[in-house]
Amino acid sequence: MLKKLPVAGRLLVASCLIAGGFVVGCSSEKKPEATKDSVESSEAGGEEAAEAAPVHQKVPKGSTGIVVDPASIDWDTNEDAPIIGNPDAPQGGTWHDWMGSYPLTFRLQGPDSNDSFAGWNRSFTMDFSLVRLHPVTDEFIPCLATHWKVMDDNQTIYYKLDPDARWSDGEKITAHDFEFCYDMMLSPHIVDPFYNTHFDEYYSAVEAVDDYTLRIVGKRESWRPLYDYGLWPMPRHIFEGKLDENWVRNFNLQFQVAAGPYVIKETENGQRVVFERIRPWWGDEKRYFKGLYNVDKIDLMVVLDSDRALDHFKKGELSHFRVTTAKTWAQDMEFESIQKGWVHKKRVFIDYPQGLYGFAMNLQKPIFQNKDFRKAVQYGFDFDEINKNLMFNAYFRAVSAFEGTEYENPNLKPYGFDPAKVREHLAAAGYKTRGKDGIFQKADGSRAAFTLMYGQPGLERHFTVVKQKYAGLGIDVQLQQLEPGTAFQRGLEREYEMTIMSRTTNLFPSPHQYFASEYIKTTNNNNIWAFGTPHTDELIDVYRFDMDKQKRIDAMWELDSIIQDEAFYAPFWQAPFVRLLFWDYVVWPDGFFPRRFEQITDWQVMAIDTEKEKALAEAMKSGKALVRDEIVDVDRWGVKAAMVQAGGN
Amino acid sequence: MQLFRIDPLTKKRLQRFRRIKRGYYSFLILVVLFVLSLFSEFIANDRALAVKYDGKLYFPTLKFYPMSTFDQKDEYGFDDVEANYLGLKTELRELRAEFKQRMESYSGTEAELIAAEPKYARKDAWVLMPMVPFDPYEPDFTYDVPPPNAPDGRHWFGTDGQGRDVFARLLYGFRISMVFALLLVVLGQTVGTIIGSLQGYIAGRFDLYGQRFIEIWGTLPFLYVVIIISAFFIINMWKLIIIFAIFQWIRITYYMRTEMYREKTREYCLAARSYGASSWRIMFRHLLPNCLTPLVTFTPFFIVGAIGSLTALDYLGFGLPAPTPSWGELIDQALQSDNRDKIWLSIAPFGAISITLVLVTFVGESVREAFDPKQFARYK
Repeated sequence: MLKKLPVAGRLLVASCLIAGGFVVGCSSEKKPEATKDSVESSEAGGEEAAEAAPVHQKVPKGSTGIVVDPASIDWDTNEDAPIIGNPDAPQGGTWHDWMGSYPLTFRLQGPDSNDSFAGWNRSFTMDFSLVRLHPVTDEFIPCLATHWKVMDDNQTIYYKLDPDARWSDGEKITAHDFEFCYDMMLSPHIVDPFYNTHFDEYYSAVEAVDDYTLRIVGKRESWRPLYDYGLWPMPRHIFEGKLDENWVRNFNLQFQVAAGPYVIKETENGQRVVFERIRPWWGDEKRYFKGLYNVDKIDLMVVLDSDRALDHFKKGELSHFRVTTAKTWAQDMEFESIQKGWVHKKRVFIDYPQGLYGFAMNLQKPIFQNKDFRKAVQYGFDFDEINKNLMFNAYFRAVSAFEGTEYENPNLKPYGFDPAKVREHLAAAGYKTRGKDGIFQKADGSRAAFTLMYGQPGLERHFTVVKQKYAGLGIDVQLQQLEPGTAFQRGLEREYEMTIMSRTTNLFPSPHQYFASEYIKTTNNNNIWAFGTPHTDELIDVYRFDMDKQKRIDAMWELDSIIQDEAFYAPFWQAPFVRLLFWDYVVWPDGFFPRRFEQITDWQVMAIDTEKEKALAEAMKSGKALVRDEIVDVDRWGVKAAMVQAGGN
Repeated sequence: MQLFRIDPLTKKRLQRFRRIKRGYYSFLILVVLFVLSLFSEFIANDRALAVKYDGKLYFPTLKFYPMSTFDQKDEYGFDDVEANYLGLKTELRELRAEFKQRMESYSGTEAELIAAEPKYARKDAWVLMPMVPFDPYEPDFTYDVPPPNAPDGRHWFGTDGQGRDVFARLLYGFRISMVFALLLVVLGQTVGTIIGSLQGYIAGRFDLYGQRFIEIWGTLPFLYVVIIISAFFIINMWKLIIIFAIFQWIRITYYMRTEMYREKTREYCLAARSYGASSWRIMFRHLLPNCLTPLVTFTPFFIVGAIGSLTALDYLGFGLPAPTPSWGELIDQALQSDNRDKIWLSIAPFGAISITLVLVTFVGESVREAFDPKQFARYK
């Protein structure tokens, strides 16, 4: 769930327009088996330290951009992309959901503004930015700006704002609100170093040309300027003059004035927060808001953990429940309400970037400098055994370093488990005889042994099985569990032989920070394997700077296959799906979720059919069974089909 | 050495200890269990105790035999990996059954059938497996449902989250806990006794500064120190004992110090000094034997503490590295939300810990009672 995402990760999820090139820790779906870890929170700090913003040398920093007369602009827009969600969805009803803790603040920035409630809070405020990425076609679509134009320098953008847009208190949303947002994000009074740094690094200027024309200049040229240089408004009429050292305290528990269709209506301290739909709302007739925001109320209750949340769901107190562990999904999904068709279960496949998740080998350690040894390790990794015996066959093997993006090379096949190949490569690496302990060794007596360092206690059970398997193959794996923050930091400092690496990504992978050779000489960066050659650097530069999309894709596919051949990264599992339970009265559009989907707050396509709600209540009263929907897997976007074809599972 | 010469008082104390049945039997049980656990490899192991194959006798517990020794091959066609003894046993059993069946319809003698089909010559081969034919490391994935699997005839205490035999892990875990606790207590008590005795005997500034140092040292958060140290080294049992011992010696110094303060003012000490005995001799030959009461009476409780801390550290994941068999790790598994309905995972380690600690505590109480000079005192 949201609360498990790291600081930067949640920002990324919540406001996908701001964090170009940011890469963050692992999402909860990635590690459903892990139970008592806190790796995410401690990773976040390290991430910011490790983050190396790509600096394009060709354009001077702080360029003032291009200035034109807005009247002469030939505006771009997009009114042709498909409608998101179902425009005929029933309206009304209350959506019951849960959060892990009661929000400490309703602010969007500053201390404590990043808890499990923040996803909802942002989805009605910061998510209303100038433009959005269409979750199916990946095109830019209007949100608060109806039109836009990227200038020739690829860093100046003009936006034409929607004059209908209103704040929830009725005030007009104008270009000055965006200008104010920029100033605010740079202000020390919001006590939020992330925004301070981010806006300082990415933006040169944000100017209101007139009330409905906005000009944004980025710090450097970009092939995705709309993505890098988007912005959301902040209500100037509320905050102006009040942004001082007391701002954090004064606005701690003040309800947000939102651009979106919901505002906080009531709260019960420590227990619940209720959002209510504004009707009529200024965006009701806009193309890309149709089919979204269908329910009248969103009632969030505090539930301490997901086991209890499942119990609340079973009692009917929650509208839906997202299952995050394979075991629950495999063994606990035949309760009465499901058998009687009152509750439906669906595994909805989504096409969301999976990030990097797998075993990383440190190329600076002698043992892994031999490519044959690395390949032996790859062939000795029995993913299927782990998946079958420890994870109910619930997951799919990841293959690419750019899994789930269009830059993933679809032609790659995973290294399968193959003891004969292990022997072959071990022998090629010089490990030819078995020692007394059954471990292969070289003529000089050095053993085929390495240490696997990790910080996630929940993964220990997987690793002990891996260790036993390797021992049988004649490779000795020592396990070293560290405190999560330490393990993460040691990864960045390259003080390990093998570790488990997990980073989430967005639609645009950032290969530069992971694979650029310029990071080999230094530590404390994300190139934790110390990989990079002049040729791969060239490929990465094509991806970063070439304006031709096909060239970028070709370069990344080649990079992907080089990474696989170099065998220093053994991808673990991916979970490109949402396991969902919901009551019969919840109505979803065809295919449930749009293709690019991560959290329910991202694209609120759900609706509640109040007629069905009544029928369900009656059926439950009399114990009558409804029609049980036997189809569990929903694969509208062909994600599962593609994986099955690739031999992943 | 006078230390180990049994004087009448010690004899009396021992007799008194033996009379306290609860403590005495607990002590016997513990000793038996501990000695048994030293031979865990012969009790729970996937290597056979003995194999008779082709007329030769093998003792695989003591030596590695590749599969080729017993004409086995693994599923990938390799025969230089470790032999599968449980598999061999099944194989031979099937062979014998087959032979018996053939004999029923065969007209000749057994010898003739063997001559006709030489493979039956192996019907006399046998494999003697240990009581529990599983080692504490190898996962058993033969069940239809992913582990943990409930107790049954195959695994008496069930399997854990990785399919490993819980009984085997308990047994090996017991050995590790006991060895760890005993070594730690010996090391800690020795260091603590020496330092405490010196403090009490030398007194003065040495005592003053020593005591301040101990107070500061004692406030260090032990668990965090271990976690920090485990970030730098791969912990093994010896390192862990030393790290624990660095903190373990403190408590006993308090008692030894006060004992020494008291004893050194007695006449026999003055007498020894007037004879010209060296300080060292006075301290360790004359005073120490008379100061042993706290040392002996506290030792069992320190053992309890040591087992408890090791379990706690393992529970947190910072103890002995995985996959070392450990009670704390089993409890951790039992308490994970996925396993809350797998009660054998909690009953087994909790039971083992409770029984062990109760036994040690009984011993401790009895020792204290046996050493109590005011045996018939009544407190009002």
